[in-house]
Amino acid sequence: MKSAIRNTIRDLRAARSMTQQELADLIFVTRQTVIAIEGDKYSPSLEVAFRIAHVFGVPLEQVFQYEAPTRRGK
Amino acid sequence: MSNIFDMESPMSRLSFQEKMLYAQLVGLLVVGVYYAHYLVHQQPGQHWFHAVILGLALLFASFRMFLRRGSKSVVEDERDRQIAAIGTQWSNLILWIGLVSMLVMYWDHGGLRSRDFIVGLIFHLLLLAGLARIVRELVAYRMAA
Repeated sequence: MKSAIRNTIRDLRAARSMTQQELADLIFVTRQTVIAIEGDKYSPSLEVAFRIAHVFGVPLEQVFQYEAPTRRGK
Repeated sequence: MSNIFDMESPMSRLSFQEKMLYAQLVGLLVVGVYYAHYLVHQQPGQHWFHAVILGLALLFASFRMFLRRGSKSVVEDERDRQIAAIGTQWSNLILWIGLVSMLVMYWDHGGLRSRDFIVGLIFHLLLLAGLARIVRELVAYRMAA
């Protein structure tokens, strides 16, 4: 199931030529968790989200964006 | 191997925890099938069967510990713990339903036939709860992979 939270981790990682394993090691999670986060299938805890932002040296909102669900018929 | 574009084989996408779950599933099925095929029709006193189960559990625990120590990368994180909690919820639910059903059977019939019947019920209940936990966790891993 896709999360309502989008992220730019893949782009940020590609810009720094960083592998998923390297990022995973830096934020103390498994590579599978990085894959799940990048695919918007898992929303990380606040702590891991801050660690990711810290690794890339950017503000949290540049890494994660929340897409509020829109109501139909209104 | 990991690269920036994530072009890897599906097998390398399996985490340590997932591989361990598959190993547990195989172990549980072996014990279950063996029990169903051979032990149900035999007389009590098969102590070696318990020794085999204990041996398998010890072997699995040692293997798991050996792999965890040998691994340089993180082997368990918050997502693993979250998924394990979901699996435990399912397992607990089945155990509760089974135990309550046993109590209802006891209250309704004033007994549970025999000691062997109770032991069989508990064994199958544990097997079912274990299977439910593993399958639920594997599904959760695939859904969030």
